[in-house]
Amino acid sequence: MKSLDPRITRWQVDESNRESLEKEHLDQLVTYEVFLQMKEGKAYEHVGIVHASDLDMAFLFAKEQYSRRYTCTGMWVVATEMVTVTEFTDLEENVYDSISTMAAEGNELQSYEVFHLTKRGKQHKHVGQVKAASPEHAQSEAKKHFDDGRPVLNVWVAPSNEFLFSKEEDKVIWSTLHEKTHRDVISYKAADKIKAFKERSQHG
Amino acid sequence: MYGGGNTFEATKFDNLAEEDPIKLDEFEARIARGEKIEPMDWMPALYRKQLIRMIEQHAHSEIIGALPEGTWITRAPGFKRKLALMAKVQDEVGHAQLLYSAAETLGKSREQMMQDLINGKSKYSNIFNYPAFTWADSAIISWLVDAGAIVNQLANSKGSYGPYCRALERICAEESFHLKYGHHAVIHLATGSKIQKDMVQDALNRWWPPMMHFFGPPDRVSVHTEVLTKWKVKMASNDEMRQQFLDMYVPKIWELGLKVPDPNLRKNEETRQWEYTEPDWEEFKRVINGDGPCNKERLAVRRTAEERGRWVRQAILVPKAKYVTPLA
Repeated sequence: MKSLDPRITRWQVDESNRESLEKEHLDQLVTYEVFLQMKEGKAYEHVGIVHASDLDMAFLFAKEQYSRRYTCTGMWVVATEMVTVTEFTDLEENVYDSISTMAAEGNELQSYEVFHLTKRGKQHKHVGQVKAASPEHAQSEAKKHFDDGRPVLNVWVAPSNEFLFSKEEDKVIWSTLHEKTHRDVISYKAADKIKAFKERSQHG
Repeated sequence: MYGGGNTFEATKFDNLAEEDPIKLDEFEARIARGEKIEPMDWMPALYRKQLIRMIEQHAHSEIIGALPEGTWITRAPGFKRKLALMAKVQDEVGHAQLLYSAAETLGKSREQMMQDLINGKSKYSNIFNYPAFTWADSAIISWLVDAGAIVNQLANSKGSYGPYCRALERICAEESFHLKYGHHAVIHLATGSKIQKDMVQDALNRWWPPMMHFFGPPDRVSVHTEVLTKWKVKMASNDEMRQQFLDMYVPKIWELGLKVPDPNLRKNEETRQWEYTEPDWEEFKRVINGDGPCNKERLAVRRTAEERGRWVRQAILVPKAKYVTPLA
């Protein structure tokens, strides 16, 4: 195959290989939910997902995907399957109104992270932790601690020990942007060059 | 940022008759109030289908669009340009990741999307089926193709589907430097030596026809998209976006002493609309259906990368892994 793309020759791409490609289930691995803290003291907020094989890889990809251009002060990742989601309510309805309070059943209590969505179109924000025996119990405990009557549209809970949290002593990993000015608009000043060009053209 | 010129299937209105009328009313009322639709909400099958199609096409465009510019990284003139182009191409591939994730929330797996791209079942922006012969081509892509995409994306970011809007907001924020970088690179050539000027004029001549195709066929021949407009899936008509692009960028091209290769291009001061030679829509159709100068090699590169990475993905896959549709 003839091409301007050097990869075509380097990889010796064979055009005759035209059998349709079948990707197996899980070939793109599973998904992890990513949460960022944009400034010290602010709540962690959901930003999206990455595909990865484990927490470490998810963290690495998430750092590249979500803090590459605009940095943050902290990052958490957790497997999507570890998150338990409530119903999604409409308009001003509070989802906590439909969650019944329950008592802890036999199991040992463990810590859960709790996230709220308070406005459609926005993203879930971390509100705190509860101790609970199951995800359903965690929802009920969240109602006890975080329901202030104002409408919450959707609640996520996930066991704290399933997260990978960025560490306080690793904060330096978020301060790499200052030397990458080629990614800033301000590095590409055009007005002066255009003005000089126009003046040259008029006089020439 | 590369999305643009989405192709929609003709809308079959009789499909809607099968939808629950009460739920459909609630859904439409929500959109009319300006609220976003989220993955867990009820939505008509047609809405889901067209959104998957649109977001997936956009994601493919980002990933394929990185190829013509990517080939110029190793040959970029100077260290600064090389750094900038690398950062830009990395951004575009990151945008594909964000968009695939948004499409996944609607229930189509990433495996299926990539398979459909490589097997030629899904489309991507037609403009990337053309070659980037010189460095100036790469500069013109960074400036004008990104500019065209911004027109499209700013409109779409006000659409109705929450995850897509959020992805686009992030994309638009990251995008700010691409356009400036592209403009800067074009200014450098256009205000330079005779050889540089000729090189960028030639590149503009090559990219102008695909750029006019970029926003898709004219409204008078486009398939009916009224319902998609009502559902805030399609946010501006092809002609509206083309006019907006011409309004913003033709003066910027002219001020650099470059000539737009269309003798009929002018702004009609009475109608406030740009007039131009009708683009060759037969060529557009031919290229989008696989017969362009670079269709085969774009998919071949993508496919080879896919095949060569397979053993890595298999090696790291945790056997008890369980896929769950992303949440938001």
